[in-house]
Amino acid sequence: MKIKIELFGAARDFSEEDYLELTISENITIKEVRNNLMNYIQNKYPDNLNYLEIVKNSAFANDQDVIVQDNYKLSTEKKLCIIPPVGGG
Amino acid sequence: MFHGKVIDVSKGTITLDKAQKFIESQQCGASLFFIGTVRNHNNNKQVTGITYDTHDSIVEKSFKEISDEAISTITAEHPIIFIEHAKGYLPLGGISIVIAVAAKHRGQVYDLSRFIIEEIKKRTPIWKKEHYDNEETTWLEGTPVLDK
Repeated sequence: MKIKIELFGAARDFSEEDYLELTISENITIKEVRNNLMNYIQNKYPDNLNYLEIVKNSAFANDQDVIVQDNYKLSTEKKLCIIPPVGGG
Repeated sequence: MFHGKVIDVSKGTITLDKAQKFIESQQCGASLFFIGTVRNHNNNKQVTGITYDTHDSIVEKSFKEISDEAISTITAEHPIIFIEHAKGYLPLGGISIVIAVAAKHRGQVYDLSRFIIEEIKKRTPIWKKEHYDNEETTWLEGTPVLDK
């Protein structure tokens, strides 16, 4: 299945769009989504270790706009948001 | 009473007047305004402006959660909290955040305001991209939201 990852903060540099799409297996966890995204980044930007660090240090929010842990299993989600390290104010 | 909102600076502005009107109360003997603005330098670079990116709905939920935690931690009496944060590009001197608080006593407003800004910096999904005088830009490093 395909899932849309909406991009925020430093992760916006991953694409010219404000999202990217990954093909993933059903019922996978956030940890597995993260690994899929890291593979995608490694293929698309093989020399950019900074992008990999951003993914490693990011949280994800589900389609209810709730930040979820690595062991959270996707069910009906068609979209996630990547939440890189924050620093407003 | 609580108000928390993201303001898209292409459509509106953050004003102290609005904050002042919201927190006015005859039950409160103290009010305090924290104002964050864009400064002209960071990490030995000349900054010309900052673009703020936000996840609006999580930001607004986070403002409410943090305010509720602040009130219960500090046991503020008759607390009123107003928080607005900018989204979009701000030039030098632009107001990025206003936290206006009112409560019964002065100690409570100092504590509320400090608690709120420190928690926003740690956990609210807001990001800064600095613009420099050589036209380069950098997303600033931040704090990871979750332990994994």
